[in-house]
Amino acid sequence: MRSRIYTIISGHFKSWYRSKSNIFWTIAFPLLLIVLFGAIFGNGSTKFDLYLQNQDLTGNVPTPLSQGYVNVLNQTGAFNLHIVAAEQPDPLTYVKKDAQDHNQGQRLLVIPLGFNATIMSGKNATVQLYMDQSDQASASLAGIVHSVTVSYAAAIANVPDHLVVQQVGIVTRNIRYIDFFIPGVIGMTLLTTGVFGAVNTNGRYRELKIIKKLATTPLSKMEWILGMVGYQMILATISLIVILFFGYAIFGVTATIDIYTVGLVVAAALLFPGIGMVLANFVKEAESADAAANAITFPMMFLAGTFWPRDTLPYIMKTIANFMPLTYINDGLRDALIYAEPAQALTNTLIALGLAAFFIVLGSILMNWKEE
Amino acid sequence: MSKDQPAPLPGQSDKIVQVENLSKKYGDNIAVNGISFTLNKGEVFAFLGPNGAGKTTTVEILECLRNPTGGQAKVLGYDVSKRSDQAEIRKRIGVLPQDFNAIDRLTVRENINYFGAMFKHQLDADKLIELVDLKDKRDEQFKKLSGGLKQRVGLAVSLVNDPDVVFLDEPTTGLDPRARRDVWGVVERLRSQGKTVFLTTHYMDEAEYLADIVSIIDHGQIIASGTPDQLIDTHGGKKTLIIRDAGQEGLKQLPQGLPKAELRNAGDIAISLNNGELTSILMSLGQTPLHDKEIEVRRPTLDDVFLNLTGRRVSEEGN
Ligand SMILES: Nc1ncnc2c1ncn2[C@@H]1O[C@H](COP(=O)(O)OP(=O)(O)OP(=O)(O)O)[C@@H](O)[C@H]1O
Ligand SMILES: [Mg+2]
Repeated sequence: MRSRIYTIISGHFKSWYRSKSNIFWTIAFPLLLIVLFGAIFGNGSTKFDLYLQNQDLTGNVPTPLSQGYVNVLNQTGAFNLHIVAAEQPDPLTYVKKDAQDHNQGQRLLVIPLGFNATIMSGKNATVQLYMDQSDQASASLAGIVHSVTVSYAAAIANVPDHLVVQQVGIVTRNIRYIDFFIPGVIGMTLLTTGVFGAVNTNGRYRELKIIKKLATTPLSKMEWILGMVGYQMILATISLIVILFFGYAIFGVTATIDIYTVGLVVAAALLFPGIGMVLANFVKEAESADAAANAITFPMMFLAGTFWPRDTLPYIMKTIANFMPLTYINDGLRDALIYAEPAQALTNTLIALGLAAFFIVLGSILMNWKEE
Repeated sequence: MSKDQPAPLPGQSDKIVQVENLSKKYGDNIAVNGISFTLNKGEVFAFLGPNGAGKTTTVEILECLRNPTGGQAKVLGYDVSKRSDQAEIRKRIGVLPQDFNAIDRLTVRENINYFGAMFKHQLDADKLIELVDLKDKRDEQFKKLSGGLKQRVGLAVSLVNDPDVVFLDEPTTGLDPRARRDVWGVVERLRSQGKTVFLTTHYMDEAEYLADIVSIIDHGQIIASGTPDQLIDTHGGKKTLIIRDAGQEGLKQLPQGLPKAELRNAGDIAISLNNGELTSILMSLGQTPLHDKEIEVRRPTLDDVFLNLTGRRVSEEGN
């Protein structure tokens, strides 16, 4: 029995890597999408996002020295300055939310009240730079802020030490578009390889009478399905690794692979072939089954937050997205790989596993092994 | 089977296939309608019939792919309707489904081993490749082969578990004449090895050439069975004497008192022969100007058998 399942897995696998179009759709196409979307929406510019709150106002007007400091920062051309209103009581929380909504870096520089006065009195003034040390861009950004600050202090009072940058470490989810996108591409790839793979091996193999032939041998339907699922798991693992590696090499996307990632890959390798099997049973002809698979995967891909956050969708679409299995795979992968949110990852993994069990069982029951 | 003999144990009978009053209905459509036949060890048995006659339905019942709606069928002594028996049947039969294709991107050898791995024991792939004469295509992917070669891969795959009986469902349909001959060659080799073969076909010449026993099936019923010779003798009708290129003129030159003669295919004269008439007719022809014409006696074929039994020709049904 082991060797039968192994034979089926290796048969599928050989058929996969010997087909150029399979390689294209499962490997090259996702990577191409990453490069394309990464280039279009990725970092936007090479400037660093920096939120800035100037609390040193008199009336409604920034004090001269604080305004001067802002101007100098701006003139470096190194930053995309996003001004945070001085009235904002909790700038850090505001920045976290705003940065995430706009896919910007979460870094905040606060010029405190009394900045101008402190410098004038000859004492050392301090600004606070909030940023995540682990963020790749932070080191260079902090370096630039430091040197700008030192030279500004030297210019106004000839005392470079007069102005101190106090670094405050924060844990950010400094999510760029590409960080958001990579788990989506993984989800999309699992979706398409799973659904189309199952339609192919259960629809086309039926047309070619391969399934009929196998049904006349001691092979059981269960073994056949296990073989297919095993193959899908191998493929899903390969996709995951290739895409993550690529994302890291090109865009510096760092991902954590944890138990939830494994759970989600297992879920996806059951769920999507399960959906494909259900399809292949309702639409008998391989070609129409292919069309049906397209009709299902495409809307799912767009609605389930593969390319952009679901928050941006109209209300109805958001509701529909809640019924899309891919939604939970995508969200779970993001929680697990990028956001490091174990609680949410767990929820999504459990939902995905539940859906997976449902679809693979349904597909297996529906699948005709013997009689057509 | 005589009642007082003990029934042989499953798997040991010389009756490889025993079918009694078997039927299969799809809704109102009766695809197989109460057929009975026996296939003995070492026989090549042909199920001959036009499209939709019920050949595939019958074969697939024997292969445990479909459930009969009536009657009984045993393969190698095992009952096709019993679940536990089905497992035994599957181990011991070889199957080439109608329109079978192996896996496109596996090579000939890989395909043989792929299907072989489904069984506990498999024959050596290279031996099978030799049997079906595919040595130089051994490492070629299945999809790159021509139709005839593909069918030979199918044959090799159907033999991979060294089966006690091989079911070949229309093994030559759609092949060109040469490829058909090649497939026939493989079946003949199987026969000479003493294999039991059950094949279906709608080609009369194929059944006549390959089969020891032919059953003609039409509309789900067996309308005649026997060796090709028996069928032809019983249902084929008269032999025909043909005088080539004699033309209208030749018709007038025929001696008196012959059976009815007619003109066929641009000038051939055809005379239906009753038994024992041949010598006297030939002698009387010798006295006429027709004596130097080419003369030939044509035996009826299974085509004629089918025509006489059904009033139709199989080939008219298309394929
Ligand atoms: N799965 C099915 N469901 C309904 N009707 C069927 C099914 N399979 C076969 N039939 C019908 O049963 C009859 C016999 O079909 P079968 O396939 O056994 O014929 P066949 O002799 O193999 O024909 P062919 O030469 O075309 O292969 C036909 O009328 C066919 O339409
Ligand atoms: Mg058929």
